[in-house]
Amino acid sequence: MPSLAKPPSLKELPDEVLQHILYFISPDDIIFNTLLVSKRLYALSIQPLLWRQHCRREFQYWDAKHRIRQKLGGEVSDVDWKSLYVYRRKVDQKTTQLLNGILGSQVDRIQKYSDMTGVGYDAKDTLLRHCRTDDNAEDVLARRFYATSVLDHLHRSQALAEWQKILDGENISLERALGSFDLFVLHDHHGDLLEISEVFDNWAEKLRLENPAVDRLPMREKALLVAAFVRTNDLVGCGSDAYRDLRNSFIGIALQQPSHPSLPLISVAIFVCIARRFGLDARSCGVPNHVHAMVFSSKTESLDGHDRERYDDDLEQMFLDPFHTDQEVPIENLWRFLSTWGIPKSDFPRFLKDSHFAGLILRTSRNILASIQEFRNRNGDNFNHPTIQLHANPFADMENAFYAALWANYMFGRPTMYSDAYNQRQFVPLILERYERLYPMDSDLIERYICPLFNNPHILEHLDLYEAVRIVRVVDQTPRQERNRDNTSLTLGVKFRVGQVFRHRRYGYTAVIIGWDSECGMDPQWIETNGVDNLSRGRNQSFYHALVEDTSIRYVAQENIEELSHLDAGEPLMSIAGRYFKRWDDQKYVFVSNIRDEYPCD
Amino acid sequence: MAETQPSTFITLASNDSGSVTVERAVAERSMLIKNMLEDLGEGAVASEIPIPNVGEQVLKKVIEWCQHHKNDPITANDDDSDSRKKTTDIEEWDQKFMQVDQEMLFEIILASNYLDIKPLLDVGCKTVANMIKGKSPEEIRKTFNITNDFTPEEEEQIRRENEWAEDR
Repeated sequence: MPSLAKPPSLKELPDEVLQHILYFISPDDIIFNTLLVSKRLYALSIQPLLWRQHCRREFQYWDAKHRIRQKLGGEVSDVDWKSLYVYRRKVDQKTTQLLNGILGSQVDRIQKYSDMTGVGYDAKDTLLRHCRTDDNAEDVLARRFYATSVLDHLHRSQALAEWQKILDGENISLERALGSFDLFVLHDHHGDLLEISEVFDNWAEKLRLENPAVDRLPMREKALLVAAFVRTNDLVGCGSDAYRDLRNSFIGIALQQPSHPSLPLISVAIFVCIARRFGLDARSCGVPNHVHAMVFSSKTESLDGHDRERYDDDLEQMFLDPFHTDQEVPIENLWRFLSTWGIPKSDFPRFLKDSHFAGLILRTSRNILASIQEFRNRNGDNFNHPTIQLHANPFADMENAFYAALWANYMFGRPTMYSDAYNQRQFVPLILERYERLYPMDSDLIERYICPLFNNPHILEHLDLYEAVRIVRVVDQTPRQERNRDNTSLTLGVKFRVGQVFRHRRYGYTAVIIGWDSECGMDPQWIETNGVDNLSRGRNQSFYHALVEDTSIRYVAQENIEELSHLDAGEPLMSIAGRYFKRWDDQKYVFVSNIRDEYPCD
Repeated sequence: MAETQPSTFITLASNDSGSVTVERAVAERSMLIKNMLEDLGEGAVASEIPIPNVGEQVLKKVIEWCQHHKNDPITANDDDSDSRKKTTDIEEWDQKFMQVDQEMLFEIILASNYLDIKPLLDVGCKTVANMIKGKSPEEIRKTFNITNDFTPEEEEQIRRENEWAEDR
């Protein structure tokens, strides 16, 4: 019993109470102040439990290198949680500094992207915070745009690393193999690889709650139960009118959409991923035109739960088509189906076996390309067409999905010595074209995944490839030439400024000016192809670089510009304008330039 | 529950021979008293319950708090400190209640810790936390009359360990 002779002070409080107080003090206050008060407070302030709490509260995303789940599940005192916290704060600070660097200058951005993604997934929390910058921030559009852009780069790095694991023969799950496509279009949304796995865990838990006996069922019954479950919960299939919707090829989007629309390949994958959580050896089977699911018996137990000792080594198998039905598909049906495709009977086994992940990834990439192809053919001029809507600006995401498909084809395409249609070599120039135009920050990915394969001057592509990367890096490091308005007769003719929103008089699209020339700066061939001399004022008028709401960049003559002076810019333009602009000025109805290093007077 | 019965009163005896008579439901905000009453059975209710660690003045103050918060829902006794809410907000009545000198503040904290009244302990600890917030080590020492027992070298060492701070 404490003596009451001495009035209690902070010193007299027992450790447990002092610790309780520390839980209500911010990490910054602890680190910079309470730690330094006295030895006792120091000892209490570095308790791992306290810092584990701060780590959990403040940081949601952790790089795989931390093995954070293992740490959280283990003894709290086994981990130096305070150091881990301080490390994460350092990452946060460095990431913010680098992002500010990107926002501050158009020069030397690529290295900053690499440095940020170099710390791995730890950077994600910081980037997400900047993605959600307050509407009133002075550079809100630019900050959101580049934070998202770095996050995209981080996600792509992770996706390619994941696919590389497959090529290296590592065992990864089907949901990660296919979820890597999602990473190309995810931005700041929910649904990364871990989150996709969590969604599957939750569905599996729901199934187990509804069917407590599931784990004791023989395999065949278990498989049929899972098939019935995914169908009653509408986790598979898609509305017939929207079969080619781009989103139907993304497993993470399918899982998180209310009606879970997906193509057969993804539907089967959803079935497989849940079935495997119940110990079933479920796999995808690449039946032409319509992927099926297969479930294999174990070596010792048949699908119906009998001993298999007397059977041979071939595993028993069953087929399912969860996209269409919760019933088992008799193999005879598949034989009939293959026959109608003109496949000889001797070839059946080749089609009725489980597919490699590589095959499923390639097939998904072709589904993506088919969706985009169909969209372009049918509705080339229709903005916001639902067919390509994913998470963000549909046109930007279509490019991202296209880019994902190209990478998949490159990574899993046939090696360079073959020269058939799916030779990986074919995809290099296609990737390079997009790299130069849209993804210069991917220099490190090109260098890691593509360059080594062509690291030989005798290979035809060697020169183009290395030259492309070199030029992108040089351009990135070159300060922009200043374009001043010097009040000479030349620049006096430049009527509009960077940031002006306009409608194209002839084509009707809305766009924003991101640069200008006092007269047409293109070569004679471009001038001829585009009929510049047929314009009423020909080539001797100002021309403008313009960012269009479909994400393309065009070159427009002054006479075709119809100023939109008292209108808002519209959502599509707002979502991409951050590439060149800080924010929208709703008094003057213009975008505020973030490229003053190039156009100081605009 | 208490609503169906006429409310019973119990008497608590402080360590300085004071006694406080209080409605049983109010006293049972203290997990210590609640468990004690359950363990001892109804017979105990009639006799005085000794609270050996708390003086009368503090006991009265604590009971005042319990009286005001009589109808608060009992929060689950969650020992996983990771899930504890971070907020240091204190409701207005409690803020006024805590406007006492430091000595009484610490007495209340000690008493609520001993009597196991978690929400009151939280309010007390938040009050202290708010007094620490934003203060330099030297200001904290001054506020709470704590002696610096670090050597300058040790202090420097600690600052170095945590130097992400520089361009905060």
